[in-house]
Amino acid sequence: MTDRPPILVPIRVLEGESVPEGVPDLLANAHVVLLGYHVIPEQTAPGQAQMQFEERATNRLDEYEAIFEEAGATVERRLVFTHDGQKTVDRTIREHDCLAALVPNATGPVEDVLVAIRGAVGIDRLARVVAGLFGGTDASVTLYHVAEPNETDADAETLLDGLADRLEDQGVDASRIETRVDRDQAALDAIVGAADAFDTVVMGETDPSLSTFVFGMPADQVADRFLGPVLVVQREPPEETEE
Amino acid sequence: MAEQPVDVEPVGQNVAGEKPAAEPDAVTDDTTVHDDDVELERTIGLVGGLAIGIGTMIGAGIFVFPGLAADNAGLAATLSFAIGGVVALLVALPTSELATAMPRSGGGYYFISRGMGTAYGAIVGLGLWLGLMFASAFYLVGLGHYASAVFAELGVALPFSPVIGIGLLFGVALTALSIGGTENTAKIQNVVVGILLVVLTGFLSYGVLDAVGVFGGGSVPEQFFSRGYFPVLTTAALVFTSYLGFAQVATVAGEIKQPGRNLPLAMVGSVLVVTVFYVVTIFVATSAFGADRLGQFGETAMVEVARDFLGLPGAVAILGAGLLATFSSANASILSASRAVYALSRDALLPRRASEVNLRYGTPHVALLAAGGPILVLVATGQVELLAEVASFLHLIMYGLMCVALIVLRRRNPEWYSPSYRVPGYPVVPAVGALASFGLIAFMQPTSIGIGILVMLVSYLWYRYYAGDVTLKGDI
Repeated sequence: MTDRPPILVPIRVLEGESVPEGVPDLLANAHVVLLGYHVIPEQTAPGQAQMQFEERATNRLDEYEAIFEEAGATVERRLVFTHDGQKTVDRTIREHDCLAALVPNATGPVEDVLVAIRGAVGIDRLARVVAGLFGGTDASVTLYHVAEPNETDADAETLLDGLADRLEDQGVDASRIETRVDRDQAALDAIVGAADAFDTVVMGETDPSLSTFVFGMPADQVADRFLGPVLVVQREPPEETEE
Repeated sequence: MAEQPVDVEPVGQNVAGEKPAAEPDAVTDDTTVHDDDVELERTIGLVGGLAIGIGTMIGAGIFVFPGLAADNAGLAATLSFAIGGVVALLVALPTSELATAMPRSGGGYYFISRGMGTAYGAIVGLGLWLGLMFASAFYLVGLGHYASAVFAELGVALPFSPVIGIGLLFGVALTALSIGGTENTAKIQNVVVGILLVVLTGFLSYGVLDAVGVFGGGSVPEQFFSRGYFPVLTTAALVFTSYLGFAQVATVAGEIKQPGRNLPLAMVGSVLVVTVFYVVTIFVATSAFGADRLGQFGETAMVEVARDFLGLPGAVAILGAGLLATFSSANASILSASRAVYALSRDALLPRRASEVNLRYGTPHVALLAAGGPILVLVATGQVELLAEVASFLHLIMYGLMCVALIVLRRRNPEWYSPSYRVPGYPVVPAVGALASFGLIAFMQPTSIGIGILVMLVSYLWYRYYAGDVTLKGDI
């Protein structure tokens, strides 16, 4: 069996967000990094919120942890009180070497997975996530690429086949892998359109800016319009720079 | 990752049976860690820290004091501000060391309660809370003066002085805003401080060039010690309120990223920046008008100075800057006061309820009201100099004791005390810092000293009554 890929599941634990239906099964083969966080205004010291809310938040996280473990995942958890949710999410991804972050939306049983690929960069991490999560299941995996105008069909196929080979190497049955290329569409619209027929989407971070927040632009839009869970594969963290 | 262990375990309980909250397990560059899996995120960077320090301080020294200081000490008021700056620096250095060793919310209160015990901690903590109220009230009265000057500028004649009314109004508005507002106030604070520094740099550069004669006659400064030597020191004591802000950085030490680096830089940096601005401001102001006339203009003297240099646009710019500066100082002080209440209630020196967080807005409404309410009473007195001196008194006690706490900690050298920044010139710097802090108090008006001592006495009695069993002192 392949290594369990570490996946971040960020939950605003005190604002009624919970683990959506279907997510525990989706992540049954993952190492779930369960991040319960609570964003507080600047007038409030984080410790102040902690004093008042820690118990309630911990109880909720206990529940969620149990749900994930019951589904088969290994779980590591954190509860963070913060002024800046984005910083907290970024830091947790970095500290726990998370391969991907989940935008938690509900789903049914996962039978069809859409893997959206932009380019060869980061394809290794993408493969580890897909193989790790779905290698041992019966889900069919569709590798999907929206070709650029100056990109030939052959280029696109090389890209997809490369990923398919990696997945096979890591234990995904070749019969379950399909490939699909579209063109003449805006990538985002194409992904959302294609995603309709699938239970979950795996995609890379598209925004090359410093902001790696999972709820940032492209993944956010996909998640908003797709309404199912989206796994956002994180870029390779930059080399640690010691001060 | 560099993790600092924290090994101070407070014990005991207060009258209501509440125990001090448990101390964290460790402090990292990004978080404070409790029980291994609960973290408090650090979100304020160096710029944010500097903005808190400078934003709190610059309102008073430039926009309220020049007239009053020149009236008291003549041109030598420049020296008074310089003395204040040196004292502040002597305290900021030891404070930096303490803050890097204990980067937790509560600042001076936290250091002293852990280094010297609960009784000192209670006096300083309650004193800090009240001191910040006096400071906020002082800024609000200053704000009232500026707002009134706006009316005067517009030619609106009011049958009464609107200073106190406006101060009260803004006091209520600020408290309400802090309770109900969830906007990104820190970003606004950064922008406000940036604007202020730009406006002031432009204005002061012009003023300095003018004073040395580039734009015409120049002005020969009058006799430096026109009021004698003694008023220089009493004025230094008065204007020390302009240097209270750096300790507010320590109040939010628990939220500063990379505390080992950013805390010392933010505290020492903000003191250096404002000292330069203050000294130049007074120099420019006194050379424009001479101390006598400047004194007659009172709290809004800077508006007249700007008018003298740059005409109406200058006056308007400084009026606007004055409003912004006093507003941001008052705001920062109210927020710090609420942090102080939280730190005290965490340690069971005040009821736990006092730091309760509002479910709707997520803000500490009890603590903010506990700060905002009394401020209104103080604003109503309208006594600028008294408010300023009492605020300074209560802070100076804390500053002096912080220096003492540093010496105590260094001598005992407990295992948990491992600051990443160490004060240069130990033990001379903290010793001189303590002496200077306590010494400055001696030059205050008797009324201010009386009120200050009363506050300390009441604080001590409250501790004996409410939390006599609580031990906060670190294992030293």
